[in-house]
Amino acid sequence: MLKVLSTQVLQHLIAQNRWANDLLRPYAGKAVQFHIAPLIATLTVLENGSLAMAGETAQPDATITIPPSLLLRLIAKDDSAKLMIKIEGDAELASTLAKVINHMRWDYERDISQVIGDVPAYKISAIGKHTVNAAIETAENLASMLSEYWQEENPLLAKKRHVEQLIADVDTLRADVERLEKRLHKITLKQPLAPTQTTLFTE
Amino acid sequence: MSEEHSTHFGYKTVNESEKAKKVAEVFHSVADNYDLMNDVMSAGLHRGWKRFAVGVSGVNPGDRVLDIAGGSGDLSKLFAKKVGRSGQVILTDINASMLGVGRDRMLDAGLSVPALQCDAEKLPFPDGYFDCVIVAFGLRNMTHKDRALAEMQRVLKVGGRLLVLEFSKVWQPLSKLYDVYSFKLLPLMGKLLAKDAESYQYLAESIRMHPDQDTLKQMMIEAGLSKVDYYNLVAGVVALHKGYKT
Repeated sequence: MLKVLSTQVLQHLIAQNRWANDLLRPYAGKAVQFHIAPLIATLTVLENGSLAMAGETAQPDATITIPPSLLLRLIAKDDSAKLMIKIEGDAELASTLAKVINHMRWDYERDISQVIGDVPAYKISAIGKHTVNAAIETAENLASMLSEYWQEENPLLAKKRHVEQLIADVDTLRADVERLEKRLHKITLKQPLAPTQTTLFTE
Repeated sequence: MSEEHSTHFGYKTVNESEKAKKVAEVFHSVADNYDLMNDVMSAGLHRGWKRFAVGVSGVNPGDRVLDIAGGSGDLSKLFAKKVGRSGQVILTDINASMLGVGRDRMLDAGLSVPALQCDAEKLPFPDGYFDCVIVAFGLRNMTHKDRALAEMQRVLKVGGRLLVLEFSKVWQPLSKLYDVYSFKLLPLMGKLLAKDAESYQYLAESIRMHPDQDTLKQMMIEAGLSKVDYYNLVAGVVALHKGYKT
């Protein structure tokens, strides 16, 4: 029953985002499997450019794996996280589907208006948008406040520039050590150890 | 009765030529109460299953769709809206009583859908004519399922889809409960609502004799379809198979 409901939701969203039909239609009949641990879901592209959940025995043409840690970064719209999504199989199909899912928008105002009319739907969605934006702003402020506290007042997190400085210092140190090793090697080659010393080391 | 020419009619073994006649009697008997009984038996779920089948068919405006064993015309009505004025839906059934009910409902809904009485094992259509062929709750009543599937494949265009919506094998832990429902409750409902317990006893038996999900999938592959896949609906009480002509 979950497949039936998910398919209906997907098809409703695609119907609201008609631009996706033309992008998906060339891949009709193909299936893409999403691995977002612990969930696995396979979507299939239909002949009319819509989407449905695939059946019980569908063989995916492409696989998209998103580790749970990456999911949070993707939700936070971290573009560098997109590069870490693992795609196997038909990469063109997978990237098209990922693009469609990424850009698909739910026109909830339209759906609400069909139940309660245009004016109340507009007002409800305006209140909804305002509430969501306020919640996001509050969450961002809270995160920024906590990060400042843990960086300045009660150091628990490292500042970005400090981490970068540490990385640069480690790189310099590694280069210095390598140089020193090479020098020592050269010295050892030029001045072989005295026999007694050799014996001492080999024992 | 020779083994070669016998087939199943529910749990009974009958002569092949007799099966079509007996199935026809069942559907003549239930035609008037068909919708009511479907709603009662499935708690209205059959409407959702049919909508789902139309949803995964991938039918575009302008497509040609063949509804086999279409009975009361539920699917034809949904498909007619999908294909629009530029498309074509043909409703067929072997049973005149059921087809009459479907045709009248189409007309009442303001839809001009041709209704044609024909045998699914000998479809009167040219090769490669339809974009989508669907048979819902009809395949199990057909005497030669393999011949019917081959005919459906024949009339499909290359790239066309065959959808088979049919009762199937329920998830094992629920099978006892399902048996009680099928063999005790179903004939009782048939007796009370349609005054026809026997036909509903046949319904329960014919479901048990119908091939399970994987067997039907294999039959579809043998009929020449490819990329065959199926959806289990309500724990396998019903399965929707979809295959492509390539």
